[in-house]
Amino acid sequence: MIKKRIDCVLLSAVLVLVVLGLVFVYSASMYSAELTYGNKYFFLFKQLIGAIIGIVVMLLVTRISIDFIKKLWIAGVAVSVVLLVLVFVPGISIENYGAKRWIGFGSFSMQPSEIAKFAYVLFCAVYMSKTDTAKLRYCLLPIGIGIVFCGLIIAEPNMSITMCMAMLMIIMLYLGGMKWKYFLLMLIPIALAVPVLIFLEPYRLQRLLAFLDPWASPKDEGYQLIQSLYALGGGGWFGVGLFNSRQKYRFLPFAESDFVFSVIGEETGLFGCLFIFVLYLIVILRGVRIAVNSQDKFSCYLAGGISAVVAVQSLLNFAVVTGSIPPTGLPLPFISYGGTSLVVFLTAMGVLLNLSANVYQNNLGVKWWIT
Amino acid sequence: MQHDYYTSKKRLLTLIVAAIFLFLVIFLRLAYIQVIWGKELQAKAGNQWQRDLPIKAYRGDITDTNGNLIATTETGYGVYARPKSVVDAESCAKALAEILDMDYAKLLEKLTKKGVSEVTIKRQIDSAQASEIRSRNLHGVYLAAEGLRSYVYGDFLSQVLGFVSYDGVGQTGLEAYYDKYLQGINGELLTETDLVGSELADGSMSYVPAINGLTVTLTIDAVIQTIVENVLQLAMYQQKPQAARCIVLDVTTGEILAMASKPSVDLNNLPRDNLEYLMKYSKNTLLTDVYEPGSTFKVLTAAACLEEYRRGNPKAFSAEHIFGNSSGIRIIDGSKISCWTKHANGKHSNQNLSDALNNSCNPIFTDIALSLGKSTMYEYLDKFGYGSVTGIDFSGEQAGILVPKTSVTNGDLARIGFGQTIAVTALQLCMATASAVNGGLLMQPYLVKEISDPTTGKVVKRFSPTVVNRTVSAETSAQIASMLKRVVDEGGGKNAKIEGYQVGGKTGTAQKFVDGALATGKYVSSFIGFFPASSPKYLALMIVDEPEGQSYGSIVAAPYAALVFQEIINYKNISPLE
Repeated sequence: MIKKRIDCVLLSAVLVLVVLGLVFVYSASMYSAELTYGNKYFFLFKQLIGAIIGIVVMLLVTRISIDFIKKLWIAGVAVSVVLLVLVFVPGISIENYGAKRWIGFGSFSMQPSEIAKFAYVLFCAVYMSKTDTAKLRYCLLPIGIGIVFCGLIIAEPNMSITMCMAMLMIIMLYLGGMKWKYFLLMLIPIALAVPVLIFLEPYRLQRLLAFLDPWASPKDEGYQLIQSLYALGGGGWFGVGLFNSRQKYRFLPFAESDFVFSVIGEETGLFGCLFIFVLYLIVILRGVRIAVNSQDKFSCYLAGGISAVVAVQSLLNFAVVTGSIPPTGLPLPFISYGGTSLVVFLTAMGVLLNLSANVYQNNLGVKWWIT
Repeated sequence: MQHDYYTSKKRLLTLIVAAIFLFLVIFLRLAYIQVIWGKELQAKAGNQWQRDLPIKAYRGDITDTNGNLIATTETGYGVYARPKSVVDAESCAKALAEILDMDYAKLLEKLTKKGVSEVTIKRQIDSAQASEIRSRNLHGVYLAAEGLRSYVYGDFLSQVLGFVSYDGVGQTGLEAYYDKYLQGINGELLTETDLVGSELADGSMSYVPAINGLTVTLTIDAVIQTIVENVLQLAMYQQKPQAARCIVLDVTTGEILAMASKPSVDLNNLPRDNLEYLMKYSKNTLLTDVYEPGSTFKVLTAAACLEEYRRGNPKAFSAEHIFGNSSGIRIIDGSKISCWTKHANGKHSNQNLSDALNNSCNPIFTDIALSLGKSTMYEYLDKFGYGSVTGIDFSGEQAGILVPKTSVTNGDLARIGFGQTIAVTALQLCMATASAVNGGLLMQPYLVKEISDPTTGKVVKRFSPTVVNRTVSAETSAQIASMLKRVVDEGGGKNAKIEGYQVGGKTGTAQKFVDGALATGKYVSSFIGFFPASSPKYLALMIVDEPEGQSYGSIVAAPYAALVFQEIINYKNISPLE
């Protein structure tokens, strides 16, 4: 009998990220929250509720049988599709900045795409563990579902999550062992889709160009990026000090959500950013370690996929905030303000921790490096 | 199966290497932004973090030659609002409407205006209104101290001083000419704000004080100016002319002591909404407009004649020369030139130069001008400063109109001899006449003698008398002065005589040109005088433009010059010489 023991390093890193998230959501939002809601703790409280629910769910998930989770593979995809469709249903849909990304009733609201990402990972992990993904015909279903998800998300429209979803699809198929030549085949429709999308929605091209020289349109496309750069640039080596961000005084849009990392950079400087990077790398590396050390294909794919979601989304967020890619709205996992995102990511971490407990504790280390 | 699973694990490692690589790339980018680019970004960001409220520098004072205040700046306020910071626009508009006596609806519109960071509510309100606004504690409404230009005497020296815009920038006159000295350097109040300009509760403020403008001291003597303004007002009342103008200056230095035109404008209450009226009566016509001087110009011809005689020019006449032709008419190249009066019953016969000046006899000056010839006459016109600006410290000065030397006819030359076919500014005539009697020096006229720092009292710039050139010898000048004294003692200038003070002078009456043709019945009557003739100091040119009724300078202008002189004598307490 193997003694079950969850990965404490991973758990610690996640908890530190969540706590830092609470601190910086508060710091970034205190001014605008006071102005808008008359309560500077407004966003902090909501985030705190998300964190508590998330942590409870995470701990519960570490306890349940992994076979139960496995059984949810089809239900997950089905629920995701339903939720993604509900985004377009008037009455349930919530429109923000010209995009329908949220559903909600009463004071509760959520972003279905957050769930869809993990549902897709679970589906692929189960499906690919049952079939031989090296054969093209077994790749078709994961590709098809991936395309359906991407299509629904891009219709919201939400370019960033679509990108995230597409990358996830490629990573899952790659993990599953799909042959290189098939990847090249997949690239053809993507290469064709880009000009079509640009033609259909010209603002995307403008956004695309804005990141190259944000000062060309400082009041329009370039505005967000300029403000983010101002924040980061103000940070220097050690930052201006906790709670001292100047850019959060409404200069930086979405300071508590998509651009929370700019505030972190401003208040804690390059060293603070390095610390955050290290925490994410710990989460990703421990996740991959669980995958590598796992006893079966399903666990390997699931752990790898969950790690991939964290890696893809955090890297995309950092790239946007630093102006390395065209600006697009994407929350930073664990840190950005947003209850759904936090609960979903913490649940996923619960799954990862659950998988970590099934790993033989005694043959780690060596195997990690030689595998 | 096992093989594929192994592939997956290998691929996982590939992915993790890729992820670490991407983290590294982004970290390097971050390091570049934060550490290398940071300074530049911070500087740019700094601009958007602060809003600056300009602090207007105090506009410098203008004083008369004795330091008496003429123009100053009082504390006024500008009221501004930042619509996004205004909390209760309706009650705010109500309060402002009540205090400033403005329209409530318009105020409300301004206070709720979208897309602007700041709106101007009202400029130049006084301290009482400002403190009332302050006491209401209206959120989002700001007061900025700004100068309220104010003139001690209002309608006084108006065309010379000029006026300023609402923003306190000199527009005309000395206010414009010396603007860079009067202006000062604005300061600013920097406050930390959020994106839309709301002040931060714990934000810092920095204050850059304004540097006050300098004090400009004029050559104008406020007392003499007042005398002149009053006398002109009297002339306006008695002669009902279009305008009356006068310059008083010190012939030894070129300092302008008084310079006035009527009608004029009240600088404290400018008719800014009647632009045509404003421009017409705020213009310093004494140096921006030209006129035909008429007989006052004979001084130049006489001076040229005597100076040339002294130099041995055979075509010139001595002071003792008796002019033989006593006819009142000359026919020059077929055109007839007449004296102003009929030469009958021995009138204007056997005159010498002094007699001719006394009688203001046109034919004699025609003879002199023709005898001296074109090049000598033009040489003297040039020496006396005709055809070029005097160089006074004032914008918009005219150089006058001379018939070009190459195309001047004998007829023109004959008329120039007694002040026709030539257009001059009043200032040019003054300076030329001054040089004829002051010992022969053409001085550059000036209005400002000093610019000083009001806080330290230190003189920053001092202007001293400048000689432009020598016109005639001291001896000729003395001769002219005594001849002109005789004109006032016994001739056409009798009305300017003040017993015991040796007043000299010459009258002038010229027909006006309207639309390029001589206008019948429209005259410019003038008198140019000075005293004391033995050592001239004060010179005055009195011009009465289109008087009603009488038009002779001797009757319409000379008495007013005498009044000015008498008042100056009283003011300066000058004892009689004889």
